[in-house]
Amino acid sequence: MARFIFRRILSSIPVLIGILIVTFALIHALPGDPCIAVLGERATEEICEAYMKHNGLDKPLPVQFGIYITNILQGDLGDSLRFHRPVVEILIERLPVTIELGLAALMFAILVGIPLGIISAYRHKSKFDLGTMIIANIGVSMPVFWLGLMLSYLFGVLLMDTPLTLPPSGRLTPGTYPEPFYLVWGWVIEGEKPAGILVFISRLNILNCILTFNGGVLVDAIRHLILPAITVGTIPLAIIARMTRSSLLEVLGEDYVRTARAKGVREFVVVIKHAGKNSLLPVVTVIGLNFGLIISGAVLTETIFGLTGVGRTLVDSITSRDYTLVQGFTVIIAMGFVLINMIVDIIYGIVDPRIRLS
Amino acid sequence: MLALSPLQSEDQIQLQDNRSSNLWVQATKNILRYPSAVIGLIIITVLLLIAVAAPLIATHDPILSMIGVPGETGRLPGKVPCLPLFGCEDAIHLMGLDLNGRDLFSRVIYGTRSSLFVGFVSISLAIAAGTILGVTAGYVGGKVDNIIMRIMDVVLAFPALLLAISIVTILGPGLLNALIGISITFIPQYARLSRASVLSIKEREFIVAQHALGASPMRIVFNHVLPNSITPIIVQGTLGIGTAILDAAALSFLGLGAQPPMPEWGQILSESRNYLFTSPHLVFFPGIAIMITVLGFNLFGDGMRDALDPRLNRN
Repeated sequence: MARFIFRRILSSIPVLIGILIVTFALIHALPGDPCIAVLGERATEEICEAYMKHNGLDKPLPVQFGIYITNILQGDLGDSLRFHRPVVEILIERLPVTIELGLAALMFAILVGIPLGIISAYRHKSKFDLGTMIIANIGVSMPVFWLGLMLSYLFGVLLMDTPLTLPPSGRLTPGTYPEPFYLVWGWVIEGEKPAGILVFISRLNILNCILTFNGGVLVDAIRHLILPAITVGTIPLAIIARMTRSSLLEVLGEDYVRTARAKGVREFVVVIKHAGKNSLLPVVTVIGLNFGLIISGAVLTETIFGLTGVGRTLVDSITSRDYTLVQGFTVIIAMGFVLINMIVDIIYGIVDPRIRLS
Repeated sequence: MLALSPLQSEDQIQLQDNRSSNLWVQATKNILRYPSAVIGLIIITVLLLIAVAAPLIATHDPILSMIGVPGETGRLPGKVPCLPLFGCEDAIHLMGLDLNGRDLFSRVIYGTRSSLFVGFVSISLAIAAGTILGVTAGYVGGKVDNIIMRIMDVVLAFPALLLAISIVTILGPGLLNALIGISITFIPQYARLSRASVLSIKEREFIVAQHALGASPMRIVFNHVLPNSITPIIVQGTLGIGTAILDAAALSFLGLGAQPPMPEWGQILSESRNYLFTSPHLVFFPGIAIMITVLGFNLFGDGMRDALDPRLNRN
């Protein structure tokens, strides 16, 4: 087992190096003078020279790459050109928004997708099966951002005066302020600068509300999260439902399932316990593969629902030419993506011995 | 030198022709047995017709504002959206006017062109590049294989949309650059697929026989390896077109793809999204257009996969 995990971690290293090269090249591939591209057209020659020297851009490329890697290893992603603050600080503030959204979307996709797939497979060729598959097909064909807009119109405008109404933008109702748990717990005195990790956790609104027993804000945060989570989660949901259905259908045709039925095992136990366990393996892979979709979905959804997460910040930074931020965020997202894929692979190896022995 | 006798060549060519045309007929028949594939094919055909005949179908110029045009009765959105589709009598503007007073119906109709263009071209480029890389990697093997496939791993390490966004950042916004960006994100899929096919048939007897006959690597690849690995690539490509269209719309929606006043569905959505609460129809129609298009390619691709995958055909 340890060998399998070690081998898997080792095989990620070339990819990580590749990511570093690509993101390093990002700044250098910008058309024209990097100084003009970063500082703008009005930068004078002296300012440019100082800038190049300060950032080591006057050194040979391999040396620059070395500096870049050293900085990243030390947790320094440079200063944002737009916010004039370290990129890491901005990341700590905004990543929780995306993580909260992604986890909620994934939960929605799994909790709804797997049961839908199971019922469709069990009632193969029934009206329910047909309906689910039509909806799943439409689900994967829908543009995420359009679904988000339509949902916010439906729940924000059409259902405005009904109990079903949901807020169409933001993370919390304006004026609501969830007091960070580290202040409530007295870990940090007001006015003092808290550690990055504390800020990170406190920005996960739902977790922070639970930690501080703040029921009112918790409900508000969840209500604000529902529409974005459905938006991001719909495509993964459709994929998970389809995968669960087809893989369960395959397993339900196996001999051992017939044997279990012949033994008189209850149908529910046959489907869930005997067949379900084996059919979930491909579903685990599909869930792993969906992280990319979720990140892409988050970029669009955050833009629609006015959430200041990583995705929206990244897009805004591209339009405002804040290249250090783009570079920093891209490298972190890509590395996170590799890490998640690695974890999924390792879990898959634990669940299915055939994988780790091959 | 291998010289074919006249008898052998004519008869064999005839036989081969019959066999290959039979295979295609068989494949088409197989595909048409799947209702989802038929529905997908119908949708795609209709969309292609719309794209070709856009000037005939569109009622107005898609980029001409109707404001101040004599004889115009259409009302700008923001007041009361007046749509014949919703029972309001405005025979001139089927889907109403957009915020700049342009006929939305004509814009959506013309939008078919750019979406299909991006879908087909980006996937064709990706298939071409991916197949060349994959076949080279699989056929040559060794270090070349290792280097190509590690590069593909790096490309796959970025979430697709994020990578496309980064590429467009470097190249600058625009539909063509978006097309290039999207195309690059798709290359690894086809490289992996074609490499796997090459590896699976490289050691087979008929390829070894070709080697023994002294056929050049190019000849072996083009005449024997590629035809044997084309099916999964076509299926994956059809499904890819749908995703590429979605990606292109997303990039345009973020302002990185098609630029105004070009009629492109994602672009139309991006223009009108701030007016969602007063004029939802401006957002509704282009979204539906994207959905139907992507659905068409997904249904056709799914049906084709079911029809052409021998593993599924066994039962």
